Amino acid sequence: MAAALITAGCGGSNSSDNASGNTSSSQPSSVGPSDMPNEQAPPTRLLVDVTIKDGKVTPTNEQLKAGVKQQIVIRVNSDAADELHVHSTPEHSFNVEAKPMQSFQFTVDVPGKVDVELHKLNQTIATIQVQ
Amino acid sequence: MIADRSTAVLAHGLGGSTDLPIPLSYALIGAAWALTFTFAIVALAWRRPRFDSDKPGRPLPRRVTTLVDAPATRWAVAIAALMFAVWVAITAVFGPQDAHNPLPGVFYVLLWVGLVALSLVVGPVWRVISPVRTVHRLLGGRSLGLRYQERAGYWPAAAGLFAFVWLELASPDPGSLGAIKTWLLVYLAVTMAGALCCGDRWCARADPFEVYSMVASRLSALRRNSDGRIAIGNPFDHLPSLPVRAGTVAVLAVLLGSTVFDSFSATPQWRGFVADHTDSVATTTLLRTAGLLVFTAVVAGTFWLAARATGGVDAQRRRELPGLMAHSLIPIVIGYVFAHYLTYLVERGQQTFILLFGLGDAQVHYVLSMHPQVLASIKVGCVVAGHIAAVIAAHDSALRLLPAGHQLTGQLATMLVMVGYTFTGLYLLFGG
Repeated sequence: MAAALITAGCGGSNSSDNASGNTSSSQPSSVGPSDMPNEQAPPTRLLVDVTIKDGKVTPTNEQLKAGVKQQIVIRVNSDAADELHVHSTPEHSFNVEAKPMQSFQFTVDVPGKVDVELHKLNQTIATIQVQ
Repeated sequence: MIADRSTAVLAHGLGGSTDLPIPLSYALIGAAWALTFTFAIVALAWRRPRFDSDKPGRPLPRRVTTLVDAPATRWAVAIAALMFAVWVAITAVFGPQDAHNPLPGVFYVLLWVGLVALSLVVGPVWRVISPVRTVHRLLGGRSLGLRYQERAGYWPAAAGLFAFVWLELASPDPGSLGAIKTWLLVYLAVTMAGALCCGDRWCARADPFEVYSMVASRLSALRRNSDGRIAIGNPFDHLPSLPVRAGTVAVLAVLLGSTVFDSFSATPQWRGFVADHTDSVATTTLLRTAGLLVFTAVVAGTFWLAARATGGVDAQRRRELPGLMAHSLIPIVIGYVFAHYLTYLVERGQQTFILLFGLGDAQVHYVLSMHPQVLASIKVGCVVAGHIAAVIAAHDSALRLLPAGHQLTGQLATMLVMVGYTFTGLYLLFGG
């Protein structure tokens, strides 16, 4: 079961069929994202749910896809402090604390394969193909 | 734990993103071309050897040779390269000890890939710019006069190249400045000691970068005629001049095997396998080392067997064949190195220069990454061009080396092995 899902962030699309947590309170709207004339900024984001418990990470080695400049949100529930490294160009690094529901948000501007890693556990959470 | 939200990253290797996989259609088209060309060449191409390393190239004006060989030119280039090396050492030691240090970029990009590009264009440059050679010459060029054992051949260089790729692909933290500095210090100490004991011959046979540079230069259009004049000519005439010594096949196998392993180790299957079967840094390193060894051994073993798989030759000749055919692997190696590392060379190369010379406000131009379709075409083009050139070189060598009646059947195994390398390469570029 994929722990990561693409949710409609603010477009009011009815495709948010999975638990998307904090932002699923979208207003019902008759205008779907595909009806909008503006195709440059798709109103979707990639949400990756990560759990760190007893030194184990889920998921690992997830294969995901995202668009250039698309919002990517890593939501972490952790019982230990760690560092989240996003090997994009340029790189991002976030400090993970031992607490639930931390969100880290970034975009990737240069197409490529981006590894998202936990530094201390030395585990790859996901590889995101950004294109 | 309260700290900066965003801290500098000490990335693995060079960090940053890697190339997108090439689309499946590109891989299939590339594979189809490679296969078609292979069979067309085996079945339809010339029946008498055409390429000859003794054939003189078209000489350039004499003043070019005079200028290139002038002691002033040699010293100027050597001293400039030495100063560059000293500057790299200064920034490595006194510069920021994090991802903003240019040392990994210099080491993994400029040295490993840049040297190949430079050698391909202008010839075996490492022997001119090698800091060890320059220091040795500044010290008067004396040595203890020990003889370099002929039977060692290129084996020390193959070991050095393997040590390099081990650091990059199998060691626990390839981006660690400490690890790179230690590697370079050992390299400098060994090469300097060898030069002081055995003279220049040590540098020519045992310095991994000099051998790598020499190998790449055999595909260059520029070379020297037998009278020493610099000439321009067909690279296929230049290829067979690769010296056949002990370890020649090993050098090429390390170069090709490691590049293929680099692609392979990025596949989710391998990463999952490593994660499932190891529980510590030591076991992960061991498993990766084993993977690297297996890839190198498979390349060496398949090529060695395929080159020997012919009828009509005696045992002595059969033993010599892998070495005599080894030059035909050079285009595959170089094609694959460029397919794999071109973005690194172009984009990380810029970044390295920016870090090295403190050009903080300069921007890296992501000319290749921003155009994934163009990049994918270039990569497939490099692999397929390398394959075609290798097949042409192997076909011509087979005509020269194999006895009449076995020239067609004798090259089949080599061709199939080359198709195997190329298909594996394309499959891995496509993402496994």
